[in-house]
Amino acid sequence: MKVPTSARRSAPPPEQICRLPVQPGELIERGQPLSFTWNGRAHTGYEGDTIASALAGSGVRIFSRSFKYHRPRGILTASGLDPGCTMQVGDEPNVRAAARRLADGMDVRPQNVWPSLRYDVGSANQLVGRFLTAGFYYKTFMKPQRLWPAYERILGGFAPGGRIPRTAEADYYDQRYAHPDVVVAGAGPAGLGAALAAAQAGARVILVEEEYELGGCLRWGDAAELALLDELRAAVDASPDIEVLVDSVVAGRYDDNWISILQRGLARVAERLIKARAKALVVAPGLIERPYVFAGNDLPGVMLGTAVRRLINLYAVRPGARAVVLSANPEGDAAVADLRRAGVEIAAVLDARRGEDVRRAVGGSGVKAVEVADGRRIECDLLVTSIGWTAPTSLLNMAGARPWYDPAAARFRPGDDLPEGVLAAGGLVGDGTVEELVAHGRAVGAAAAATAGFGAGRPPPALDVRTHPALFRASTHGMVDFTEDVSSQDILAAAAEGYDSSELVKRYTTATMGPTQGKLETVNTVAVLAEATGRRIDELGTTVWRPPYAPISLGALAGRTHEPVRHSPMQSWHEAHGAAPLIAGAWIRPDHYGDAQAEARHVREQVGIIDVTPLGKLDLRGPDVPKLLNLVYVNKWSKLEIGSVRYGVMCAEDGVVMDDGVTGRLGPERYLMSTTSSGAAAVWEHLEGWLQTEHPDWAVHIAPLTTYYASINVAGPHSRELLARITEGVDLSPDAFPYMRVRTGRIAGVDECLMWRIGFTGELSYELHVPASYGVHVWQALLERGADLGTAAFGVEAQRILRLEKGHLIVAQDTDGLTKPYEAGLGTLVKLDKDDLVGRPELVWQQQLGEQQRLVALQPEDGSIVPAEASQIVRGTAIVGRITSSRFSPTLDRSVCLGTVEVALAEPGSVVTVLLPDARRIRATVMPELAHVDPEGRRLRV
Amino acid sequence: MSEALPIARSPLRAAGPVETRSGWEVSALRSDAALRLADRTPMAKVLVRAPGGGQVAARLGVTNGSARRDEHGTLIVGSGPGDWLLLGAPGCAAELAARVEVEDDGLVSVLDYTHGRALMRLTGPAAAQTLAKLCPIDLSDRHTPDHTAFRSSVAQVATDVVRDDVDGTASYLLHCERSSGQHLFDALYDAGGEFGIEPDGFAEP
Amino acid sequence: MFQIPCPHCGLRNVAEFRHAGEQRRRPDPQTATPEEWRTYLYTQANDAGWTRETWYHRFGCRRFVGVQRHTVTNEVRPADTGPAPSVASPPAGIDAGAPDAGGGAM
Repeated sequence: MKVPTSARRSAPPPEQICRLPVQPGELIERGQPLSFTWNGRAHTGYEGDTIASALAGSGVRIFSRSFKYHRPRGILTASGLDPGCTMQVGDEPNVRAAARRLADGMDVRPQNVWPSLRYDVGSANQLVGRFLTAGFYYKTFMKPQRLWPAYERILGGFAPGGRIPRTAEADYYDQRYAHPDVVVAGAGPAGLGAALAAAQAGARVILVEEEYELGGCLRWGDAAELALLDELRAAVDASPDIEVLVDSVVAGRYDDNWISILQRGLARVAERLIKARAKALVVAPGLIERPYVFAGNDLPGVMLGTAVRRLINLYAVRPGARAVVLSANPEGDAAVADLRRAGVEIAAVLDARRGEDVRRAVGGSGVKAVEVADGRRIECDLLVTSIGWTAPTSLLNMAGARPWYDPAAARFRPGDDLPEGVLAAGGLVGDGTVEELVAHGRAVGAAAAATAGFGAGRPPPALDVRTHPALFRASTHGMVDFTEDVSSQDILAAAAEGYDSSELVKRYTTATMGPTQGKLETVNTVAVLAEATGRRIDELGTTVWRPPYAPISLGALAGRTHEPVRHSPMQSWHEAHGAAPLIAGAWIRPDHYGDAQAEARHVREQVGIIDVTPLGKLDLRGPDVPKLLNLVYVNKWSKLEIGSVRYGVMCAEDGVVMDDGVTGRLGPERYLMSTTSSGAAAVWEHLEGWLQTEHPDWAVHIAPLTTYYASINVAGPHSRELLARITEGVDLSPDAFPYMRVRTGRIAGVDECLMWRIGFTGELSYELHVPASYGVHVWQALLERGADLGTAAFGVEAQRILRLEKGHLIVAQDTDGLTKPYEAGLGTLVKLDKDDLVGRPELVWQQQLGEQQRLVALQPEDGSIVPAEASQIVRGTAIVGRITSSRFSPTLDRSVCLGTVEVALAEPGSVVTVLLPDARRIRATVMPELAHVDPEGRRLRV
Repeated sequence: MSEALPIARSPLRAAGPVETRSGWEVSALRSDAALRLADRTPMAKVLVRAPGGGQVAARLGVTNGSARRDEHGTLIVGSGPGDWLLLGAPGCAAELAARVEVEDDGLVSVLDYTHGRALMRLTGPAAAQTLAKLCPIDLSDRHTPDHTAFRSSVAQVATDVVRDDVDGTASYLLHCERSSGQHLFDALYDAGGEFGIEPDGFAEP
Repeated sequence: MFQIPCPHCGLRNVAEFRHAGEQRRRPDPQTATPEEWRTYLYTQANDAGWTRETWYHRFGCRRFVGVQRHTVTNEVRPADTGPAPSVASPPAGIDAGAPDAGGGAM
């Protein structure tokens, strides 16, 4: 759509030529006129109008073009289901204009039209309709495959959606949880009765109504019905236990009455998704009037009986000048009365109960005449049909109930196979006067409250179901699915091609797959299919109804995202010093501070500090901790002395390496276990699992301490000197505090700090665990007091370089989901002479079989090439291994790797071929030790 | 070698001007907004694990799911089967731990968790409505009256929630693993936006 | 979202729990044959009907909870027995939101 010229914009708005005098139940506020634009032209309406009613009030008849054939469409249902009333409002596409209240200044435009609503090029599709029949997506756009990009553009153009400007601001979508006793879906006579009765019994009720007002069909009723509505509404207002949500919808029902409710009409929130856990759900949506299938049934000017009753009674809009009405029920007769009262000339009333019928509606951009079954041709601009009802059983079906077809009532009815806590009320169940519907609602509401534990409900009385003629299609063919442009001929064609079940026809023709999700179309689809296949409707059944009950915006489903982000206490320092962030699970870590190679070199030459807070840490207490350690680690733990630490490897029950780390003994019955950062949660659960389920008799308490401590690794030849400057109460001399020991002392004035002498980097190093609230203090103290020693921070990347130089594996990097300890060079740790050990049988068998693969250090012959991690190691065309880690080593000035290779190739000095991602093949040599740097471990034992 | 006692810092960014209280850097803001969110991390937090029917359990006097204030003003929270959380004035963790010491009661463990946890307080008539956006537990008076405690997901973080009303106004203490504290604070603050939430400074308890 | 009756915390959304598998007996690790051990590791009955399962309440009491669940309707009842005889190891890296769990590459 081009923006209209200012001349058109400034043209005076059209008169509201179709407005009626004041109606008793009208919702519009005539004292509050509103201005808006339609298709760029100024229009007026009233507060209380929907967009569609305001346009209809000005005599607008064409609201949109249909999806496939671009046929002109107008008002059909005048409700949220109206297939012809989807519009763009400002930035917002796909607004259901017959269900959206008009607001001042709205910029309303049609969708799916080009170049304009009145002269639409796409409507030429009507002339080539034979190419767009059933299954046209499958038939037309499959081959040749090279044309797919073009097809995609064409199909994209068919999509009936509006446009989202790239500049559109994100609205605030909200979520909340709720715990009502009873949710009532639908606030017509039965829903109102149910909510009141449940609240009277003491239940907390959420009453949800899709439209803006309570009352349902009472709103367009006679004086007595309007009086009843006033009475019910006043009672609801007076009940503090009923939370009323209008302009909202129960979108889905899931296990244990987990109910999603979309709430709209909030002040600062675009939409809110309520996740309600209800003790009982009362489904009271009433009935939906079903369109009739005949030639021309989608012309503007063809409307349902309820649509004209809504337009006249709620919005004081005269829906036409001269009408033909096809009526099969009392509601249709009431529509005739409403039309007469509104001054519409009734050209003919065709009584379907007496066999009268229409044949076709005639016209181009709107109804001009109706051809009747008896051959008459009647000039008119409005054809009203009231030929039957659909029970919207969706929410009940989501609870597991299947609807069944009642031929006498000519509609599907809810089954009685409802789970406890799900009840149906009102028109969905049966027919009755409004008083009977309210009474039924009250009884069901009381029963729902009883389910929730309030009062003693009795089984609700049965509602009669009146007989109704079965009318689906006239003698001609017309639209079955208005939003998807699927006609009854398409369904006959699909059936002829063998798509002869409800589910197949749905998928092949796309009937019932539009925004109304079958609420208007399903029964007609099944009825036409029954006719085509010579079967009965009850034999075919309906397609399965799934959530959501009504269209929901993606924003509401996304809601607020709550993805935890974890920071170390030193995060502010890292940010202030230019750390490049590394996202590691939920943690944000410093990857480097500019130059990882220089940081690594600095550690080898002077001293560096790294934030390793995410390392998992578990406090283990109790007399049976050694038993637990012996069970979960492959090595032995019975003789660990106080003050010592030991490296351990954990396997799962399948004998695969799952985690590693060091555990230190801090006291007689007190240990601290460290785990990998990514394994911290899994290891904790693993230990709890073994304690709780296999060994509940063991006295062990586990407490996670990961973030109790800020963890800092101090590494490099000057690290002892640095620590000596800020440590009190610990003798740091090599004899008093040797490698693999743990001490507790005061660091930079902070008591109860732990110091582990271990060496992931291969340098003399100490891992400090400082109570987290003092993390920044100690970190800064190290940098300040060690400035003359060259103390500098290093990041995760430098640590990865250093550990690779040293040949230390990382579980899940240098091992995978199949790696056995023997293959990872950890076999010497495994001690099978223990009573039990997680994965023990597998480890025994592994040892007997010998390993197939082995983890080795590799150096490319061309030291300037760093093979990408996961590069294959090949022999001819066979894959015989892979590179698991690779970096450029600043210490050796060449590339270094870890990798797994077949055992035959794992001997030191053997040369393997590495296939790079760019298909080059390079040669690499297997090294004698895993460590590229200092294999003797001299540097860390000083 | 001795130096000035270091200052402890909370994982939550301090709102507005800061001051030092009991060795902690805390926000000095004072808000009288209807809905307030305040950092309470400096409070002493002690985790106690002991057999359910033992002497320690009897001395603590609350079971899983409820909380009480003892004669010292310490909030004792039944935070799980056989575990308790003690919340007291800043710096009193050792004193709290000592009060639990018991002779012979099976395996009892007492841990000072002060530095390993974030603690915040959400106060105001709309506190429950705010929390209901993030937490799937029924917060109505019927189900969660004053001095109820539970652990559940709040904004996807496992959180101990203790209802601890202040002068008749609804108030919740929220206690979670330290490194997720800022995330939890931010999520609560976002949820409270429509009720006019403001950050508040440190006060006890 | 169905609910699980936690014996310590009451009815809670299943999203608070990790499924730890069907309850099964761990064979004696000293005597198990490969067939027995691998049946224990990998074979689940996967019945359409009532099963006995173990769930870990990771957002709540952190206890392993035994329940009976109908796999077709998701109806869940408390187990009349205690915790399951055994549990499988949790998959690595399931740290989201679990307190004091680590998270990260190393």
